[in-house]
Amino acid sequence: MSLIEAIRYTEILMGLAFMQQSIEHLRSFRNEQLIFLARLILSLLLVAGIQTSWVTGLLLLSALAMLHRFQGPYNGGSDRMGLLVLCCLLLSDIAPTQYWQEVAFGYLAIQLVLSYFISGWVKIINPDWRSGQALTDVFQFSSYPVSESLRSLATYPRVMFVSSWYVMLFEILFPLALLNQYSLIIMLIVTASFHFANACLFGLNRFFWIWLSAYPSIIWFQQRLFVTM
Amino acid sequence: MLHTLKLLLPALIPSWNFFDIIVPSPRIQFSINSTQRDKNREWQLFRPHPQYISFGMMLKRMLWNPRWNESLFLMSCAERLLDYPTQHSEDEILIRITHDLVKDGRMVLEGMYLQFRLVLVKRVGQELVYESQSVALDTYIARVKHT
Repeated sequence: MSLIEAIRYTEILMGLAFMQQSIEHLRSFRNEQLIFLARLILSLLLVAGIQTSWVTGLLLLSALAMLHRFQGPYNGGSDRMGLLVLCCLLLSDIAPTQYWQEVAFGYLAIQLVLSYFISGWVKIINPDWRSGQALTDVFQFSSYPVSESLRSLATYPRVMFVSSWYVMLFEILFPLALLNQYSLIIMLIVTASFHFANACLFGLNRFFWIWLSAYPSIIWFQQRLFVTM
Repeated sequence: MLHTLKLLLPALIPSWNFFDIIVPSPRIQFSINSTQRDKNREWQLFRPHPQYISFGMMLKRMLWNPRWNESLFLMSCAERLLDYPTQHSEDEILIRITHDLVKDGRMVLEGMYLQFRLVLVKRVGQELVYESQSVALDTYIARVKHT
């Protein structure tokens, strides 16, 4: 995948993710509707590939308006990832040379790797995660499970233990997937399935779409590293 | 503007420490009263989770999940109130409780007072950690209509 193709795929996927988020706000309060209607139109233009540099710049302004309106991100990590993807796209769009374009877009790929590796690291050094207790706590008393019936999963300690280690291992091993194109694709299927499960069990649908939008960057980055080495 | 730019920084240099420790989780409970200092308040859980959700509904929510995402935002506001209380976080919760009550339409709200509190749910037991001001619902109904 060439740099230009990867940037374009990222623009399209991020635009679609922003459209999904924006549509969810169109029935909300009027001052939210204004921000998200503008964001919806800009995302449509981005997906269509019209004036992408200007559009990403205006999308960044709308993101700042969101941060001001909600005094922080509306949906924590997913909004922050959206901002990161957006800023990297904008910087790679306005970069004066291809070298700086690669630096800006490569930063997104590195942050994507870190998003899994650091998440895995902070879990694996925590005894509660290693024993399965932390995941049990998530199901037992956190506000994330989308229904009360899902809380009963907390009563299956073996399921919690195995699931915890599955998550910690693929997160911490994610950087190794860069060694080979096929291992990377398999790993991206595993991580996308993980986000899909989080969306189903914990209602984190926005994480699924926005993390997927960063995947072209890592596919390009892996090829770039392989060719360079 | 400087404050908004400060909010942008954690997105550009993220920490990525998702779910590193599982801390007690706040629940929002609210009470409608006829006087501002009612002694016999009855507390209701705000937006209790459904008992069961089908896989089909989970799939639908991949694309359309505004109410749940709003509830996650209110959880963020509740956590912010515990870390560094602001009028903004308190107002966001009060306005959205009022909005739900107005939409529900089953209670007489005019002349009544609204208050919410935050209860931390732990591995064992619960703990009351925050009580908002008791506010005139009429004020917030007007704000819901004009926001």
